Amino acid sequence: MSAVGVNLIAAAATRPRARPLRRLRQLPLALVIGGTVVAVLLITAVFGPLLAPDSATAGNIAQRLWNVGTAGHLLGTDGEGRDVLSRLIIGARPTMIAGIVPVLVGGILGTALGILAGMSRRGVRSLIMRTLDVFYAFPAILLAIAIGAALGPGVGNAIISLSIVLIAPIARVAESEVLQMRSADFMEAAYASGARRVRIARRHVLPNIAPPLIVYCTSLIGLCIVYAAGLSFLGLGVVPPHPDWGGMLNDLRSDVFTNSVLSLVPAIAIFIASIGFNLLGGGLRQLLNVRERDVAA
Amino acid sequence: MTRFIARRLLLALPILLGVSIVVFITIKIVPGNPVATLLGPNATPQARAELTSRLGLNDPLPVQYVHWLWSALHGNLGTSISLQQGAGSLALTAFGNTMILVVAALLIALVGGVALGTMIALRPRSAIARLSSSSTLVLIAAPQYSVALLFVVFALRTGAFPTGEMHSTGSSGFGDLLSHLFLPALAAALAPLGIVARMFSVSLSEILSQEFVSSMRARGLRQRAIVRHAMHNALPSLLTITGLQVGYLLGGVLFVETIFDWPGIGQQLYQAISARDEPLIEAGVLIAAVVLVLTNVLVDTIHAAIDPRVRA
Repeated sequence: MSAVGVNLIAAAATRPRARPLRRLRQLPLALVIGGTVVAVLLITAVFGPLLAPDSATAGNIAQRLWNVGTAGHLLGTDGEGRDVLSRLIIGARPTMIAGIVPVLVGGILGTALGILAGMSRRGVRSLIMRTLDVFYAFPAILLAIAIGAALGPGVGNAIISLSIVLIAPIARVAESEVLQMRSADFMEAAYASGARRVRIARRHVLPNIAPPLIVYCTSLIGLCIVYAAGLSFLGLGVVPPHPDWGGMLNDLRSDVFTNSVLSLVPAIAIFIASIGFNLLGGGLRQLLNVRERDVAA
Repeated sequence: MTRFIARRLLLALPILLGVSIVVFITIKIVPGNPVATLLGPNATPQARAELTSRLGLNDPLPVQYVHWLWSALHGNLGTSISLQQGAGSLALTAFGNTMILVVAALLIALVGGVALGTMIALRPRSAIARLSSSSTLVLIAAPQYSVALLFVVFALRTGAFPTGEMHSTGSSGFGDLLSHLFLPALAAALAPLGIVARMFSVSLSEILSQEFVSSMRARGLRQRAIVRHAMHNALPSLLTITGLQVGYLLGGVLFVETIFDWPGIGQQLYQAISARDEPLIEAGVLIAAVVLVLTNVLVDTIHAAIDPRVRA
């Protein structure tokens, strides 16, 4: 799936013997900014423990609630005297995992269901889609809370509940894309040549619906990071004392009356991550020429 | 029209049934044995067996579901573990306060979104339109808890607005409510406002490029009259977009309520989650989903009322 995206990006971005700088300039601005933000986030998530200046879990209670900008603690310290910058850096990994993995899982299951529904007879199709409508009846985050609360706290359970929530919207997008190409000539030719349905789905349907789905899922990652941090904020995500951005938001929120700038740090980090993935999605949309959709599920 | 509403309500029934099944399943997947929790570790095996059969836990799952649905339809959604009251009535009371916040946020999103969207659609190449269309992207991406926390800091710094709850102590006036309502409603409204602005500007500019607009222009109609006609045609799509935002708001106000101490369903859920109060959580989620399904019926009904093509 990603190979298609990469090829399309390459095709749109390259002219024969263009200089690298000019090539970069031809990319949509949103893609460049969003891509940079996402790259920084991912590098932080992978190498976090190596980059953090301090311990994320051990603090000095004598140094609690230091201001943002204090020497030695660039982003201050939290209520237990732990370095906020280090917690932010080390907390990037669980935050990104809980934002990206559900989109991957929901993306695979949702795309499979959407293709199955789109290529099936009317009866089977409406059975699948009407069943998914039930999940649409819930506000997305509330369904995630209901499942997450039943399963209990923990990153794994947060990922499971968000994956379930994301299946229905992704399946709906996939199905509507499949329906649009159902009667295309190459599809009829494929059926006429006697190809099996699984083969047609893999060789003809999937490559054609991949660009809009990649765009949609990229923007969904932004939303999923916000939801995952929200679950942690409510106490359904990462188990303390391990840091993640939603949990930090909840920890520092109570200090808003004494040290308001400090309490905003995790809130702003989540905001930037959400904007980054949304910009990347928007840039990919321009690049791959996909029409606009309402992402808020 | 009555037939349309009746048919639409009938179509909503299977969805509601599905919603109830999902909520029932989430109750059933809670780890641990409810009988052991209720009786404690020192209960005799006979007492456990008796309670298990009295709660109907020996019945097959479909039978348990029917029993559960029957009592849910009679307003009995179990007892809140932390508050020892009916979970249904607790959630319903809190939901009233949530709806005040949702309606206020929806109004802000609608008015602001239409104004911004119209501006973008009418002068797409102007500097203001460009600025606003890129700012909608930031608005849409903004997590509601981040915005809410920013607003609390703003209120603390300026002292212009209260930072929490619905009323000041000892006061219950309407003006007092409004001043408590403004910041949380705005915080919840920003993302939907961005979505409404963006989607509305797309549909309005599509309409403005249609032939009937050119012909009005050729006949010398003034810009204001043309915009009025175009707006009229954009109403159905505006309604659809706005309807979609209700679901988003019902989820998003959860965090805004928690941060602003607004005594609604979100704050109740927050407390219920930290108290592991499963019945209260499920009651809140169930009520929100039912309200969302009924809202969709309402949106479709209004749609049919303003657009006769839908009624057929």
